[in-house]
Amino acid sequence: MTFYHFVNCVALVYVPYHFTYKLSGLSEYGAFWKCFQAAQHYVFTQLVKMIVVATFFPESELEVKGDGNDAFSEWLKASVDLADLAGLYLVLAKIPGKGHNKILTAAVGWGGAEMILSHVYSLWFGARGAEFDWKYIQGCLDSNISLVQHISTAALVWLWSRHDLKKTLMPIVYFLLLAAIFKPVLFNTLLVSMGYGPWLRLALKAVTTGALGLVTLYIYSGLAKAIGVY
Amino acid sequence: MWFDEVESIAELFRGYLPYYLVIALPIFIIISPANPVAASHEFPVYRMQQFDLHGVQYGCRSAPINMEAKALSTWTSSRHCVISKIQDLSIERFKEISEKAGALVVVLPSDLTALSIEDRQNILELEDLMMEREVSIPVYFTHWNPSIDDVLTDLSTTIPTTPQPARGSALETLMHSVSANGYQIVVNTHQSHTRTDVSVANIQGKLGGHGMEDKLPTVAIVAHYDSFGVAPDLAFGADSNGSGVAVLIELARIFSQLYSSQRTHAKFNLMFLLSGAGKLNYQGTKKWLEDHIDSIDGSPLQNAHFVICLDALSSGKDIYVHYSKPPKEGTATSNFFQELTQAAKELNPEVKVELMHKKINLADKRMFWEHERLSMKRMAGFTVSALKSHQDYSRATILDNTIDTESIAQKASILSEALARYIYNLSAEDVFTENLKVDETAIEGVMDFLVAQPRAAQVLATKQNSLVTSLQGVLSRYLKDVKVSHLVPDKRDPDFSFYDVTKATVNVYSVKPAVFDLFLTFAIVAYLGLSYLCIQNFSLFYGLVARVSVPAKSKVQ
Repeated sequence: MTFYHFVNCVALVYVPYHFTYKLSGLSEYGAFWKCFQAAQHYVFTQLVKMIVVATFFPESELEVKGDGNDAFSEWLKASVDLADLAGLYLVLAKIPGKGHNKILTAAVGWGGAEMILSHVYSLWFGARGAEFDWKYIQGCLDSNISLVQHISTAALVWLWSRHDLKKTLMPIVYFLLLAAIFKPVLFNTLLVSMGYGPWLRLALKAVTTGALGLVTLYIYSGLAKAIGVY
Repeated sequence: MWFDEVESIAELFRGYLPYYLVIALPIFIIISPANPVAASHEFPVYRMQQFDLHGVQYGCRSAPINMEAKALSTWTSSRHCVISKIQDLSIERFKEISEKAGALVVVLPSDLTALSIEDRQNILELEDLMMEREVSIPVYFTHWNPSIDDVLTDLSTTIPTTPQPARGSALETLMHSVSANGYQIVVNTHQSHTRTDVSVANIQGKLGGHGMEDKLPTVAIVAHYDSFGVAPDLAFGADSNGSGVAVLIELARIFSQLYSSQRTHAKFNLMFLLSGAGKLNYQGTKKWLEDHIDSIDGSPLQNAHFVICLDALSSGKDIYVHYSKPPKEGTATSNFFQELTQAAKELNPEVKVELMHKKINLADKRMFWEHERLSMKRMAGFTVSALKSHQDYSRATILDNTIDTESIAQKASILSEALARYIYNLSAEDVFTENLKVDETAIEGVMDFLVAQPRAAQVLATKQNSLVTSLQGVLSRYLKDVKVSHLVPDKRDPDFSFYDVTKATVNVYSVKPAVFDLFLTFAIVAYLGLSYLCIQNFSLFYGLVARVSVPAKSKVQ
């Protein structure tokens, strides 16, 4: 709805990342370049995913007849998002450091790349036009929620990669990882079919992400306390 | 593990791929043109007429619009574009809007033929008023569709956004501004310019009489083929003057069949003319007369007994013959009038033929009938019409799109009968046998073809117009020496000028009021402040959770 609106939306999207970066003490560690590398990995992972989807799911352009089929193929496509986890693993492996620094660097870099390439792009072409739509604001809030989600996911991947995690907690970690992957698909199919409006969906997404994050934090803090990192 | 392999591949790619992307993508995004996103509603609109005639400017003078839309009841200033249905637009309101508002978009009902008589009359009067004077604001017409109905309903239920100080608190206004839904109307055209490629076509043909053509008398039949309405792209002109053209073509067909046989080849030359720009004071006829009377000496037109002009022959059942100078007893014209009255009485007794005398007022800039051009050149001419008054609104309206083939056929048969009796000097007999009678399906075909496209003079005035070519083709089937002559207005002192931009696309964007942006900024700042606090004090939260959690380290084997 004009450039001012665009600036509003960009601020809404970008500033939380900025705060996270600045206030979590990452800047003291000179982590900017590492974040950038994490962003590079993100781009690469996305390209690989796109190629896989295009190769194995070429019928996605055609009209899908049955609803059951539709949901199933959606779930299959979402499983390609497992590549995200692989990407995150690579990122974490590349970043030297301990504990929360590592995770936050990875998450901020990853999330930042996603923010710029997906949201800012769509904002540039959408929010600057004369037409107003609530979906831009919703997209920005969604991006903020994704930030929290990325941090949780990065923490989970890190936990998964640790050999010294208590065995009983591993299934939970697996479950949380899968939940993180399939959450978008779940939300799309379930809530849209239930007819919830976009704001309600956003609120629910925030709540579930928060819950996920909380559990992850709990497990992480347990391990961190035990191995003596913060 | 295969992770290592993946890692090495990543190493390989990292040198090339990401850098390229990182540099290229932002550049692409930044240099791409700032196209606004597609509007929520987009549909074609037709601009009101705009032309100059004899130096006087008529019609709507500007074209582009970029302003906020308001309904008829809620507009206040010249920065508002009023959207309204044509039925709600009264003459006083239109006058007010044309003086004080910024622009006007008129929504026409979806079926123009199914209007009530009162509605129809209102629209006719409104059209007449609109064309009477110059309108400085852009005026567009569009057909009704469901999305514009939504826009109209939204607009009429919105309270004006300029808050009166006495009403409500600031919070209420703020809340209202968040929920309100404004619309921005954008018609993206350039300002309308005079067209320099104007070329009005006259199509003529003739059927030579039996013998030496130069020595034979002539009867000419003239009809203008263009139409007029408040919006040139909506002027279909079924009656005026599609019916005239259809009757002319039908007469050409009948008489060409008669003239093709030796026995029935009369000693009269018949000339047919389809003249252009008729609705602009008969410019086409004027040029044609200049060519034939003033310049060429041996033109058969100079021996014309009379010229029959055809105009609007389908709207009523009676025939009115309009003339400007009463014909003396015994002249060709008065003889023809007698034949006409006689033919009508015999063929269709319920049709009455009335003679209407209207003097030409030389001070009046407008010419009302085509024969007035002829009378100015001292030629005997008259107009046959089903309309009684020269000021009948239905001669120049966009509502003129009903085809009444039966009525046209009726008039055509009466006219052909009268003309035949005149040129063959017969009387009191039915001249035509079955296959020379008026063919109603042929008339229907011609009418369907004519009404299928807008025929306003400015739409047709291009060098190679398809309608002109088709009419030429049709006449060539029946007549000889079919010629198309073009009239190009004088460059320096044109009699008439046309303007471009007759239709455009309107984009209706739903927008929020300006206060909303500020409100949003405050909300975002508050939210960011909150997130700042959260992130700042995250360590506290972490500590809390850490205290609760149990050590998760497993015992090393």
